[in-house]
Amino acid sequence: MADHKSSRVIVDGNPIEFSAGDNALVVMLRAGIHPTGGGCLCLAGDCPHCLATVDGVSYVRTCQVAARPGMVIKRHPSDAPPPLPLDHWSGPDTIARHIYCDVVVIGMGESGRAATAEAQRNGKHVITLDAGAGQEVIGVYPGPLVVARTREGMVHVYPREGIVVATGAAEIHPVAPGNHLAGIVTARAATHLSDAGINLGRVVAVGMPPEGIAVEQADGELLRFDGVDRVEAVVMCNENGSERKIECDTVSIGLGLCPRDALLRMSNGLAVRVVGDAARTSDIPSCPKAGTVCHCAGVTMDDLESVRERGFHELELVKRATLAGTGTCQGSVCLPYIRSFLADRGESLQPPFTARPVTRQLTVGEVAASSYHQATPRTALDGEHRRLGAQMERAGGWWRPWSYGDTVGEYWAVRKGVSIGDVSTLGKMLVSGPGALELLERLYPTKVATLKPGRSRYVLMLNERGYVLDDGLICRDDKTRFTLTFTSGGSSFAELWVRDWAESWRLDVRLLNQTMSLGAINVTGPFAHELLARAGVGDPPQYLHHRTATVAGILCRVFRLSFTGEVSYELHHSVADSVTLWRRLLRLGADLGIKPHGVEALLMLRLEKGHIVVGQDTDFDSTPRRINHEWAVKLDKPDFVGRRAILRTDKAPLDRQLAGLEMEGPAPAEGALIWKGSDYVGFVTSSAFSPVLGKAVMLGWLKLLEGELPAEVTIVGRPARRVPTPFYDSEGSRARS
Amino acid sequence: MPDLKLLHGTRIVATPVALDKAVWSQDVLALRIAPDEVFVTPAISAAFVDDQHAIVAPDAGFAGAWIVSDEALDFLERSCEWELPRERPAFAQGAVAGLPVKLWLEDDRVLFLVPAAYATDLEERMA
Repeated sequence: MADHKSSRVIVDGNPIEFSAGDNALVVMLRAGIHPTGGGCLCLAGDCPHCLATVDGVSYVRTCQVAARPGMVIKRHPSDAPPPLPLDHWSGPDTIARHIYCDVVVIGMGESGRAATAEAQRNGKHVITLDAGAGQEVIGVYPGPLVVARTREGMVHVYPREGIVVATGAAEIHPVAPGNHLAGIVTARAATHLSDAGINLGRVVAVGMPPEGIAVEQADGELLRFDGVDRVEAVVMCNENGSERKIECDTVSIGLGLCPRDALLRMSNGLAVRVVGDAARTSDIPSCPKAGTVCHCAGVTMDDLESVRERGFHELELVKRATLAGTGTCQGSVCLPYIRSFLADRGESLQPPFTARPVTRQLTVGEVAASSYHQATPRTALDGEHRRLGAQMERAGGWWRPWSYGDTVGEYWAVRKGVSIGDVSTLGKMLVSGPGALELLERLYPTKVATLKPGRSRYVLMLNERGYVLDDGLICRDDKTRFTLTFTSGGSSFAELWVRDWAESWRLDVRLLNQTMSLGAINVTGPFAHELLARAGVGDPPQYLHHRTATVAGILCRVFRLSFTGEVSYELHHSVADSVTLWRRLLRLGADLGIKPHGVEALLMLRLEKGHIVVGQDTDFDSTPRRINHEWAVKLDKPDFVGRRAILRTDKAPLDRQLAGLEMEGPAPAEGALIWKGSDYVGFVTSSAFSPVLGKAVMLGWLKLLEGELPAEVTIVGRPARRVPTPFYDSEGSRARS
Repeated sequence: MPDLKLLHGTRIVATPVALDKAVWSQDVLALRIAPDEVFVTPAISAAFVDDQHAIVAPDAGFAGAWIVSDEALDFLERSCEWELPRERPAFAQGAVAGLPVKLWLEDDRVLFLVPAAYATDLEERMA
């Protein structure tokens, strides 16, 4: 051991010098400090008696941590758990490395080294993990996956062929009154401390003596330890029944070994091989008469007796009833004694209880190492929105501009002038091939065959029960090619839905999802024609038509439709051109008062037109009839997904329906309950104050009362009326102008 | 932090048989991202795929960057919970740093491809 006093650690605020090679526990013991006040120390990472908070992390086994200059150690309170850290952790993220191999060997003692050499001789790629080198395995999981904590972060090892557990054996701790005192160590720990230069004073050995230390042997049965805070004597019972009290400064405990096989016991069904001492049969100590068995959970021999008297005779049940074995050391100390206790009380010697990850306390950062929160995609115009000061929100699974700071102004730009909106988030899919028409005919409740090339149609997507899954457009490009659009939030599922049916029906089609490849900008408002003309499109497509055109120098597919109730063109283009197109449109429309509109304004505009948002205004069981969209379903088609269910459910009386509602004053919150007198009759799904109408307009689910939707209801204590939709421009003349 | 750039290319959807038979020019990288789909970069003007119904669409939906192998593999060891192919060159795709990433692995460098909508996230996670 080097005796060069080079550096200091801080223990409970006091600087303490340490020597090279010291672990944190040795540093404290050399200074006369027991980390937890007392209890038998093993210096092998098995017991719970050297735990402390090290550099802000609690429950650290100080015997397993090399002392470092400036290390801050705080002992845990004796009567309470360590406090949670109050400071925001600003250190680097904990990383996890993912490593693949043929065999992983855990433990690099003699048997671990032999297993490694054997595997390598057989040409296997071997990864070794050794606690002595700071690589603590904390769990074995199905996969198989072995997770270890290292000084550099977490390591996830994926062995293709097997796991070798060579973790050795732990020393059995003493259970007797007074085993909470300081000055009790296992035999190996005594040798370790002596080697580290710590004066153990007068040492008495119970059981096997430690190597290399002069001791006084204490024969007989261990009765108790005497002392106040620190052991002053050990009391033994001789063969003749008399007590013998031996004064001492340190008691060395050599009561046998139990295998460190927790990793085996948690690896049910996995290819795990145990070698060396980890494979040995546990020594079973004699059953003590008294004392603390489980220091982690504070379980005494009296507690074991108590639960046994209440009928808990199985080891697994005793564990659950007392919590012995569920604490910090995961049964390393108590397990041999509980087995011994049950055997002594007439039960057979039961196998060790199941172990479960984790074997070591982990920080949240270690558990979450290299895991990532779900990312929210951004459109190509994300930077433009932020530059314009937009308040960005997650909507429909994307980052979208909720408002540019003047929602009402954005709204009026659409109603009275011209506005552009980023609708790149809409799902977009190309369908091509000789089976394309049949696929769409069987998938959608509209008559796709009547759709001419260059035309578009609003469609519902239904499931087999006739419930609405999504909505969007079918646009026919030519005889065998179509473009589909889906809602932003529903596009991923819709793509899978289309692909699944195409495959199920074995149709000859090609499918290309272009949602993330194409940007889309909605040009909307009474001056939309004018803006497009300025952008070089003097003859834009008619309502529900589409064609390719160059818009402000950018190649686009121009779709004429309307979600806002005003003239609208969706310009689909390569995401590489989104920023250029966006800026050019803003520049071309500057003198028209052009403003971009955010999602909040868009939702107001569409609500005035009574357009639903699938997922907001629909439920999982919304049929076209319930949402007043029977016009979108052609039951005279031979078949489509959901047809049979609709034919069946149409025979049942309607029980509830989505309806338009209006009221004076501010708009109630979406989700507000709807009442008829004192009866609950529904709830609001969409709600906004309509600037153009000067009142609140809503969509909401209403129950039918005696076959009729109620005409007058109460929402947030105010009267509301059921009215037909659209609320605005019911003839649709503005959108078609 | 890598600087991911939009990668101009061509996406081709055709029958798997047609794509199996297709021969690509030496100066393009053709990544078979699905049995019925190939992404070719840089963009090609025509695709010689024996499928009259094939969809051939110009595409700039991926952002990408070449990273030197040591740096790339170090990042992948931390962020990729599946085993990379051992041969080179090789194509692989799956979740990397929680994002849908495609990899083209060569001896001395790796091309990272991600839908452009996730480019900012990948840059941040690789930083």
